[in-house]
Amino acid sequence: MKKQALWLAVAASLTILPALAQDNEDWGDDEWDLEAPSSALPFTGFAELAIGNRVVGTDLNDALTLGDARIRLERQEQFGQVHVDAKVDGRYDAVLEDWQGQIRELSAQFSLTDKLDVKAGRQILTWGTGDYLFLNDLFPKDWQSFFAGRDDEYLKAPSDALKLSWYADVVNVNLVWTPKFDPDNYLTGEYFSFFNPAAGQLVAPNPPLSAKAPNSDEWALRLFKTLGSTELAFYGYEGFYKRPIAADEFGMPTFSRMRAMGASVRLPWGPGLFNAETAYHASLDDKDGILANIPNSQWLFLLGYERELVTRLTGAFQFYLEHTQDHDLLLSNSPAPQWEAEQNRTLLTTRLTWRNSTDDLTLSLFAFYSPTDSDAYLRPSINYRLDDHWHMSGGLNLFMGADQHTFFGQLEDNSNGYLRVRYHF
Amino acid sequence: MKRQIRLALLMTLPTIFAGTAMAQMSATEIVKKAELAAYYAGDDGRSAARMLITDAQGRKQMRQFIILRKDQSDGGSQDMLVFFSRPADVKDTVFRVVKHTDKDDDRWLYLPGLDLVKRISAGDKRTSFVGSHFFYEDVSGRNTEQDNFTLLSETDSAYVLEGKPKDPSSVEFTRYEVTIDKENFLPTQIRFFNAQDQEYRHVEALKIETIQGHPTVTHSKVEDLINGGSTEMQFRFISYDLGLPEDIFTERSLRTPPRQWLDLKD
Repeated sequence: MKKQALWLAVAASLTILPALAQDNEDWGDDEWDLEAPSSALPFTGFAELAIGNRVVGTDLNDALTLGDARIRLERQEQFGQVHVDAKVDGRYDAVLEDWQGQIRELSAQFSLTDKLDVKAGRQILTWGTGDYLFLNDLFPKDWQSFFAGRDDEYLKAPSDALKLSWYADVVNVNLVWTPKFDPDNYLTGEYFSFFNPAAGQLVAPNPPLSAKAPNSDEWALRLFKTLGSTELAFYGYEGFYKRPIAADEFGMPTFSRMRAMGASVRLPWGPGLFNAETAYHASLDDKDGILANIPNSQWLFLLGYERELVTRLTGAFQFYLEHTQDHDLLLSNSPAPQWEAEQNRTLLTTRLTWRNSTDDLTLSLFAFYSPTDSDAYLRPSINYRLDDHWHMSGGLNLFMGADQHTFFGQLEDNSNGYLRVRYHF
Repeated sequence: MKRQIRLALLMTLPTIFAGTAMAQMSATEIVKKAELAAYYAGDDGRSAARMLITDAQGRKQMRQFIILRKDQSDGGSQDMLVFFSRPADVKDTVFRVVKHTDKDDDRWLYLPGLDLVKRISAGDKRTSFVGSHFFYEDVSGRNTEQDNFTLLSETDSAYVLEGKPKDPSSVEFTRYEVTIDKENFLPTQIRFFNAQDQEYRHVEALKIETIQGHPTVTHSKVEDLINGGSTEMQFRFISYDLGLPEDIFTERSLRTPPRQWLDLKD
């Protein structure tokens, strides 16, 4: 009943909002609206209907993988020198059969001196050079949204943090303090099943998996500088693994401590762009790799190249390596060594993006393939911008793998297709 | 007698050659001067801009943004920031360009929803600028070194030059005719021709205003003559020589727009 009411509400808003938001598309001579929002509404935002379904059936979850009726409201205000940004989402989620509200952004931004910026509050944070691969960006991700085919924006989950940015001739510095650790929105079983090594099989737990997040804080640091066309950055992080890949004494999933350090470079090379990034993830609770329930330290490496292949068709390629330290010890101490990843896990990705000449249609194919895990993840998508208000998207999330326990292989039964219709106002 | 004629011919030849050379020189000179007038007015500049895009079916779209520009040298490299405010889906998106004359431009796009500074690889600059009929190159200026110019005709008020690409495979046109106003050296009309020598793209300055002594195109229109559709672009709140600091043309401004420089007043 609730569900029907909401679909009705969204359907109604999709019809009413366009009428309210009718802006002056014929350009009055003086209608520049520099300050005012572009419509009669006191905020901007969008209404969206999204639906996604499994490609093949599974006993573990319902066929529905995505069922969002969402309203987004955004508003910005300037109070003296302080800039306040608010973005709020409300949705009925037909997969969870429940209402969900989320503040995506509620932040205040100001400059303390002419070289020091402060941003405090809920905010989205991103850095690093990888495309869908994160070595030094240890801000929270929402993997469930990513795999379900929500807009790319939702891959990044918000942080409640204080960000200081200091800009100097020598180097620029970002320091982010998150008072309470923000984990990823990892797979819980609600939308998607996953492999459980303890059970030795795919599971979709009900009640859903919920690991207790530590109450401690997180620190993230970036030093960066642009020399000519070359961008250099160094990174540091002190906190926890973002997914509950450790186990406590009762065998329950938990977050163990982690410290990361890394560096990246990005520069034009030949006709395209080259990037390289590395990171060392030190497992602070198991520095020697002895404990079976705590992940081992890892070295991560990334090489990437992107270029325009022909007019309006861009191709990108990434090579990623995850090297696990003390792999021998990991195997000898693991209760299930047959399901541990190889010492050197490699991943290749390609991205092809084509835009039409009027720039309103985008076709994209992103592919992950792991030679060591023998698994893959294909993300073809199509985006059509009918006008300034109506946008349509569709795509597939196809997982495949030789084994049930590998990163993408475990998601095979979750392969899905989705459609989204959005009205911006 | 014959000898005299030959002598006379020999004597006039250098003048004819010199004359041709002068015409060629002046075509290039005119183009260089037009480039400075159209893209390098003042040492820096700021303007609000909006585009009205009408597609072949008559559907309309709108883009609104503020451009900040600073020249590193006249006719040389330029720093540019484009802050989008409309429509809703591109609001707060920022485009940063370092235009180079000797290599590919550096380009970045800031996507606020992801807090992502996306670097854009060098690409064909003759593709749609944010969904309009203008190309990236129309906004940032086509490098004059890429074409050979000849003076086609000249009236009391304007030059008409022909540009032919040095590398025809790199562009969709075979030639274009550009009309340059003699008084202010602004290009007032550009007609692009395809391989069938059919005009397929038409750019026109609809209004020119003098701002702080710089004649400036404040309203222009580009038309797609084959598929239909057009885009009008208007500039307002233009000012030159604001003394824009160099350090705002950095990554900082993508995440934290320099609001004191974006506060527009006529």
